[in-house]
Amino acid sequence: MSKAMSMDFLRPMTWAEALAAKAADPEARPILGGTDVMVELNFDRSRPSALLDLTAIPELAEWELRDGVVRLGAGVPYSRIITELGDLLPGLAIASRTVGSPQIRNRATVGGNLGSASPAGDAHPALLAAGAEVEVESVRGVRIIAVDEFFLGPKRSALQPGELIRAIGIPVTGGPQQFSKIGTRNAMVIAVCSFGIALHPAQRRVGTGIGSAAPTPLRAHAAEEFLGAELDWDGPLDRAVANRFGELVAAAASPIDDVRGTAAYRRHALSVLARRTLTWSWEEYRCV
Amino acid sequence: MTTVDMRYTGSALDRVEGLEKVTGRARYAFENFPADLVYAVPVQAAIARGEIRAVDVDAVLEHPGVIAAIWYGNAPRLVPSDNADLAVFQSRRVAYRGQYIAVVVAETYEEAKEAARLLRVEYAAEDHDVRLRADHPNMYRPEKVNPNYPTDTEHGDPDTALTVAPVLVDATYSTPAEHNNPMEPHATVAEWDGDALTLYDSTQGASGVRDTVAPLFGVPPANVRVISPHVGGGFGSKGGPSPYVIIAALAARHVGRPVKLAVTRQQMFAVTGYRTPTIQRVRLGANADGRLTAIVHDAFEQSSTITEFAEQTTTPTRIMYAAPHRRTTHRLVRLDVPTPSWMRAPGECPGMFALESAMDELAIACQIDPVELRIRNEPDADPESGLPFSSRNLVACLREGARRFGWADRDPAPGVRRRDRLLIGTGVAASTYPVYRRPSQATAQAHRDGRFTVRIAAADIGTGARTVLTQIAADTLRTSPDQVLVEIGDSALPAASLAGGSMGTASWGTAVVRACEALVEGLDRRDGDLPAAGMESSADTTEEIGAQRRLSRHAFGAQFAEVGVDTDTGETRVLRLLGVFAAGRIINPKTARSQFIGGMTMGLSMALFEESIMDLEFGDYLNRDLAQYHVAACADVRDIEALWVEEDDPHLNPMGTKGIGEIGIVGTAAAVANAVHHATGVRIRDLPIRLDKLMR
Repeated sequence: MSKAMSMDFLRPMTWAEALAAKAADPEARPILGGTDVMVELNFDRSRPSALLDLTAIPELAEWELRDGVVRLGAGVPYSRIITELGDLLPGLAIASRTVGSPQIRNRATVGGNLGSASPAGDAHPALLAAGAEVEVESVRGVRIIAVDEFFLGPKRSALQPGELIRAIGIPVTGGPQQFSKIGTRNAMVIAVCSFGIALHPAQRRVGTGIGSAAPTPLRAHAAEEFLGAELDWDGPLDRAVANRFGELVAAAASPIDDVRGTAAYRRHALSVLARRTLTWSWEEYRCV
Repeated sequence: MTTVDMRYTGSALDRVEGLEKVTGRARYAFENFPADLVYAVPVQAAIARGEIRAVDVDAVLEHPGVIAAIWYGNAPRLVPSDNADLAVFQSRRVAYRGQYIAVVVAETYEEAKEAARLLRVEYAAEDHDVRLRADHPNMYRPEKVNPNYPTDTEHGDPDTALTVAPVLVDATYSTPAEHNNPMEPHATVAEWDGDALTLYDSTQGASGVRDTVAPLFGVPPANVRVISPHVGGGFGSKGGPSPYVIIAALAARHVGRPVKLAVTRQQMFAVTGYRTPTIQRVRLGANADGRLTAIVHDAFEQSSTITEFAEQTTTPTRIMYAAPHRRTTHRLVRLDVPTPSWMRAPGECPGMFALESAMDELAIACQIDPVELRIRNEPDADPESGLPFSSRNLVACLREGARRFGWADRDPAPGVRRRDRLLIGTGVAASTYPVYRRPSQATAQAHRDGRFTVRIAAADIGTGARTVLTQIAADTLRTSPDQVLVEIGDSALPAASLAGGSMGTASWGTAVVRACEALVEGLDRRDGDLPAAGMESSADTTEEIGAQRRLSRHAFGAQFAEVGVDTDTGETRVLRLLGVFAAGRIINPKTARSQFIGGMTMGLSMALFEESIMDLEFGDYLNRDLAQYHVAACADVRDIEALWVEEDDPHLNPMGTKGIGEIGIVGTAAAVANAVHHATGVRIRDLPIRLDKLMR
């Protein structure tokens, strides 16, 4: 007779208890909104030894603004990002609106999105473009990981055994930010591909984030460098520059053919999204 | 034929069981818990073709709570029937991947699920063939197509007519496999009492399930009772008992306790039927003025190796347009795939996508407005049978739709209308659905308190059947709906035809009217003086329906769509959808509108989203849940309206109704595809209209 499967359900009331529980059982699977974890359990894709329910820890569901950085608790749901952070984090708020359905936006969190590390996660491109940092913690201490070093592979992140995501630090740039996603229907859809952009006028720099078009979400470094060199921050947007930017973004991706779209289509669409979001951001920047 | 007085029929009565449903009191199949209930979880074949060598039953019996594991090797024998899909566990053969090959019964659902997951099955796999292609060497001509139409028809000399036609359209269209996804997945609870079986099932026809299940277990139909008061959608997938019903009954008999079996959403993609993929070649020959001289429509489809289901894809082409030379054919290939079945408007739905796309191509070739082209080819009588139409108001639908939609002065040039980033286009397609009516029985009972009970084993699968039967009964009984209780959804009630073929209201309504008329007559004879037990009358419409005049009876409609296609990404959104229908008298405008726009939404979904993708390597459908098999979301349906034209047809039934459950889906996909062509100049002949198809 095989061992009957059982799963512990741990519900720490404080962050310290959560870290202790994770240290005691590094295989314990953290759960917040459950919009990814419960699907995995339901489809029997994973069988963690324990579920570590973090929803009772008050500070995870809070955010604060300090020194020009929003420290977003890992458990703040998307619906609150939309209503509370639209001014400070416009790119993430736009991306949040494209997540699932209202019910899912009420449950799902950026912390959970990062924990799952799906290449198609809707928050990732906006975080990459904004230059966010992931604050992770274990009983050993706190580590700050730049978000573009966080994703290691499909559903694999830089989290080490015993570490939990505490918060995400997102700089408030005051510059325009955009996010655009292609889906096969208007709601409740996994991105065919997505793109986030953030202008950092103070640094005369543009941040980018590509989703659903490579094994991990990623920045288009060459495209960012190109804009850094070629953008005339005091003039109108040169069409040729925007087009070249689109090409460089497409070139940064390494998409595949799947049921949602072909690789060729994804590259094409990414160039369109990059050009488009740059144009929108530039219009906003010039109007301010 | 008499006509029902129209006091309550025609009014927008709220659903009579609406409150029960929205408060959760309406009980669905899964929500029945007889004493000593146990749970069954079936096991699906992990190969697409071959044999089951062995199943390790003993190992799972060791698991907590497990009562039985049943497969071919230890299953009780069923009485042989001609339905191979229902002969569960009667053979070692595996006909398709996902076929139910065993079942585990346990005290709880979780225990059964875990044991089913661990059940070791040894197979001898064989090479499988799951790809439909028109030139498949095993294509053959089935003897008939669903439900009982001739496979092929031919009139005149279509080949010569096509050769000499001044204008020729010759195009091949394809539609993918599509799966029904009713809100409520299939479920049944089976309980034996000696040789008597009770099934709480989610079904479109309680009488039909009883008549099919009973002989498999060697008991008379009277020993089987099927209870199904509420059904959360069916669309055809609950038209007859699927294998899971037989498994539940077999398991319940085997373990001697009531058994509950719920089909999961993922399993539904293999075991509850689907719409066959189709490949269709349409050839239209016409004069320069658009008048058709020849219509040829050839369809290629698939079925499983164990059951022949031949969808009637080209049958609407037999009645749509006038042309002296014509041919329709169906060819089928038996593959190692699950058995296809009914999905809303089988035949008409995929067939009219091809025909109405081809008509749009002909309109462009002839430089004639597509509404006018259809009007120009309107036949005087059924073009193949020569029978008169009982009524046919396609032209009225087209004209009224064109007026409401703002079709006049439409510039036919494709790819020229821009609104911001969108290319805008409009499209039209005709719609049709046959008028069926089947014999049914009903009783009507008068109570001494002035109330009435009407009984018939009809099914309300979310259509509003219970409500419209209440309206029909109230008018016939010359009372108000709140005085009438209509009991349906139980095979112990007078036998009725199934909720399918859009024939429920016509079939059941006729029986209800006749039973109520007989009761009124009886009451009139007694001058209203009722015996203490009340009074009951019954009706059986077999004779009446058998004697009805031979006519060509069909509903018609016109679908108009406006789309916006993103010039750079190919994202297509349906901006407006308008359907105008001629479907006899409308009994309830509220529930009727829901049927029409529900069908149209499903047609929009077919046009843009729905596609079951066959995994050629493993031989099953790849996208088996609602996250991957996309149906339209509310956000995809922006502006949708359904209207109907007055139609007074005395040759139908006492209510004067035609069916409305399926016509809404017919033609919608073609209207959308035609609008996409008008918007972009790109003709998509293979559904769905995926964004990468528009950018290639």
